[in-house]
Amino acid sequence: MGKPNDLVQGTLDLLILKTIFLEPKHGWAIAKRIQQVSGEVLQVQQGSLYPALHRLEQQGWIKAKWAESETGRQAKFYSLTAAGRKQLEAETANWNRLSAAIDLVVTEA
Amino acid sequence: MRWLARLRMRIQMLFSRGRAEARLDDELHDHLERQIAENLAAGMSAEEARFSALRLFGNPALLREQARAAWSWAWLELLLRDVRFGVRTLARTPGFAAIAILVMALGIGVNTAIFSVVHHILIEPLQFSQPQQLYAVWARSDAQGQSHIAASGPDFLDYHDQSTSFSAMAEMIPHFTVTWTGDGEPRLVNCAGISDDFFAMLGVHPYMGRFYNAGEYARLESGMIVVSYRFWKNQLQSDPHVIGRVIHFEDTAETIIGVAPPMPDLLPDTDVFPTLTTRPSWPYMKWRGNKFLTVMARLKPGATAASASEDLTAILRRAPGEPADVRVELVPLKDDLVGGSRTQLRIVMAATALVLLIACINIAALLLARSARRGAEIALRVSLGAGPRRLSQQFIAEGLILALSGGALGVVAAWFGLRLIGRLPGLSLPRMEGIHLDGVVLLTTVGVAIATTLLFGWAPLLAFSRSNLSPALRSGRTETGRSHRRSFAWLVVAEIASSVTLSVCAGLLLRSFWRVEHVDPGFQPESMLTTYLRTNYYSPEGRRFWRDVLTGVSALPGVRSAAVADCTPGRDAATATLVFADRANDPDHAPPTQGCWTSADFFKTSATPLLRGRFFSASDDADSPPVVIVNAEAARLYWPGENPVGKRIGVNYTGAGRVSKAAPRMREIVGVVGSIKQGALDAATRPAVYMPYLQDETSHDMATMSLFVRSSGAAPALADGIRARIHAVEPDQPVLSLQPITDLMAESLAPRRYSLSLLGAFAGLAVLLSALGIYGVVSYTTQQRTREFGVRIALGASRGSVMSQVFRQGLVLAAIGAALGTGGALLATQALSRLLFQVSPLDPASFAFAVVLLAVIANCACLLPAWRASRLDPIKALRTE
Repeated sequence: MGKPNDLVQGTLDLLILKTIFLEPKHGWAIAKRIQQVSGEVLQVQQGSLYPALHRLEQQGWIKAKWAESETGRQAKFYSLTAAGRKQLEAETANWNRLSAAIDLVVTEA
Repeated sequence: MRWLARLRMRIQMLFSRGRAEARLDDELHDHLERQIAENLAAGMSAEEARFSALRLFGNPALLREQARAAWSWAWLELLLRDVRFGVRTLARTPGFAAIAILVMALGIGVNTAIFSVVHHILIEPLQFSQPQQLYAVWARSDAQGQSHIAASGPDFLDYHDQSTSFSAMAEMIPHFTVTWTGDGEPRLVNCAGISDDFFAMLGVHPYMGRFYNAGEYARLESGMIVVSYRFWKNQLQSDPHVIGRVIHFEDTAETIIGVAPPMPDLLPDTDVFPTLTTRPSWPYMKWRGNKFLTVMARLKPGATAASASEDLTAILRRAPGEPADVRVELVPLKDDLVGGSRTQLRIVMAATALVLLIACINIAALLLARSARRGAEIALRVSLGAGPRRLSQQFIAEGLILALSGGALGVVAAWFGLRLIGRLPGLSLPRMEGIHLDGVVLLTTVGVAIATTLLFGWAPLLAFSRSNLSPALRSGRTETGRSHRRSFAWLVVAEIASSVTLSVCAGLLLRSFWRVEHVDPGFQPESMLTTYLRTNYYSPEGRRFWRDVLTGVSALPGVRSAAVADCTPGRDAATATLVFADRANDPDHAPPTQGCWTSADFFKTSATPLLRGRFFSASDDADSPPVVIVNAEAARLYWPGENPVGKRIGVNYTGAGRVSKAAPRMREIVGVVGSIKQGALDAATRPAVYMPYLQDETSHDMATMSLFVRSSGAAPALADGIRARIHAVEPDQPVLSLQPITDLMAESLAPRRYSLSLLGAFAGLAVLLSALGIYGVVSYTTQQRTREFGVRIALGASRGSVMSQVFRQGLVLAAIGAALGTGGALLATQALSRLLFQVSPLDPASFAFAVVLLAVIANCACLLPAWRASRLDPIKALRTE
């Protein structure tokens, strides 16, 4: 079921880590936040989001906690772990280098 | 420490899955709710908000599955689920499961057992150090038509002293017998005389005690003896203090100095290993022409068999009296030991492989038929979101269940099969000791079966990925039936072809066997007893013993006549050459003959017809003029169109164990008798000459002969009386069992009987499996055409025409298969030609038999589906659609 708008897996990981960098968020909020901040360009499909969240949790980069949400319902909140912070730094640096390089190629060539 | 956290997480996930899953559902549900809430806020109606959220959300089951996949135990869970599901579906069709597992078990069992035997005999190295260096040494002369010529004592000494290619060389007399006395009833002991390098050449060490030293090899009678492991274990009761024990062989006393280690490959029947001294040596070891010694050697590291054979050839050609074209051949010891069984083993192996192929085809056909019936199920699963990978995983799990149960049962079958082969009476194969279930072979056959199962369990999915689901969902069947049916049909055709090939081979062997059984042996084997008597005379002193035995046995009530001879009809005779008085003789091309020394009543006892002249009489004794009787074959070959009676010939012995002591005397031919089969019944009749045993002029005079008794009533009842009469003459004379001569002849046919029954069983199995295959394909397609038949019947087609349609399909398959199989058989039977007897490899009867058999079987297999189709109720058939 290939979807052309799917984000590249590594990129989605980076986006998720970045989104919960400041405060813990639940799944829906993460998807919404990415959508908003990107100006509705990046649509995160649930089919990609939840496997990615569970994978990051398995990796030990994020941890989850059930807590009461703003609507008063129980929701699963994801937050960064120490390892997750390091991973975020590494991936951000990586991304900057890569996007700068692509930018160079695209504008100069 | 991250890996530790990860591990904790995984273990948690393994054991608290139920809770984790509930939580996942909560989480996804929460997400959905929020989406709906947002849609409502955007102004959608409640229903619209819900549908839109669900559309965006996608397939919840799939999503759950994908999230779970991240939990890293998903594969295990899925596998378990698939296995459980597989067991359930298989249990729903117990007939299919039982047949598939049984076919697989049979295929694996038969193949593993037989390949284990063949692999052990033909391929496994001998159990000696560096066995590839060991060779048997034989000479051959094409001009004299002789191969496999043994060595004489002087030949061996020349090889041993002059060649430079070997690190060790030994000679031996592989088989002779002595009488063991002084420990209960006198028993015959099997000896293998060995020269001094024998054990060192093999690289073996004593199991107990020591081997002979140089001093013991420097005397003709050392008084010391090395016994075999087998003899020590069975006859000496594994006596731990056996070293130093004295045993008596005839009139010598021998002290046991050592026990040889078990040598399962070489000389398995040997009891003791007496010394075979080379310097000094016995007189018969000094005759250049007395070629009866087996020579074995170990090549020096770096030497090649080809150069060593050149080396020995040059040495032998320097010896006096050798034919100019004589060559020495080095045969790898393993090949030498395996010898003539090779062809037979290979044929059996090929047949076995064919059976495995047929079994695999059958399993494949069964699986295909089954998966075709599961169209609706698969279509339903695909539409519920099962991807091709999930589906194939499930099919693989099902295949694995089948393959593993079949494999396990197959291992059991192989184990029993091997035990059975080990115990077959009269199966005389070399290297039978130490045969074991071969792990590699077992893995290979199980692997082949599993691969087949997986391959064909999975293949139908390829068709489904292309197929349109909705008709399959609606009607419960797929539109892929056509290509499906065709591949299925080809499998069955292949199966039929293999069965036809096997049946032709079995038919040829059966006809050969029948021909052999009905060959005229030249004597009447019924009511005839024989036993082999070994004395120690080797001189005219023995005449009294044999004469008294004959007189005693002849006087027994119920004995019609009795005779002794040094040959056994239907079994063996010594080889000699002829010297003619009436023509020039070329010593290099002396005409060969079988020779036999007999008592006067030999032909009366064997009931062989006299064609000309007279039989021997009591007056043909040591002092009367030398006489000879020739058989019809000798008369035909050497006196064509003439009457041989009255001509004069000499008979010269040069072969193993029997050598003329002087130039042969000229003998007058007094009679011509019918040709007795002196060898096996399936061997060609050869010229033979018979002479009075009292006129024996060879080194073997009076030593060993067989006693023959023709009885008027039931032969076995006489055995005790005969034994008593022999012991009355000589109390210490060992008497082996008195056997009906028909038993001996049956023994010589045992290999033929085994090949026949094995190939026959395989052919039967193949035909049975083919019948199953035809039945499968026909009933499957008939079922697929239920609607068509319903319509036809509703439109007025007669039951008969429906039946004939079903039959036609099965018979077309059978016809194509039979045509291909006949082609295959044309090739296969050429390889079989060495096992055939008076039957051409193209024997039309065998071919016709196989084809007719398959035709009948195919018809039987079609009967049930055709009957079912003709009984169809058109209303029901149309309604089920």
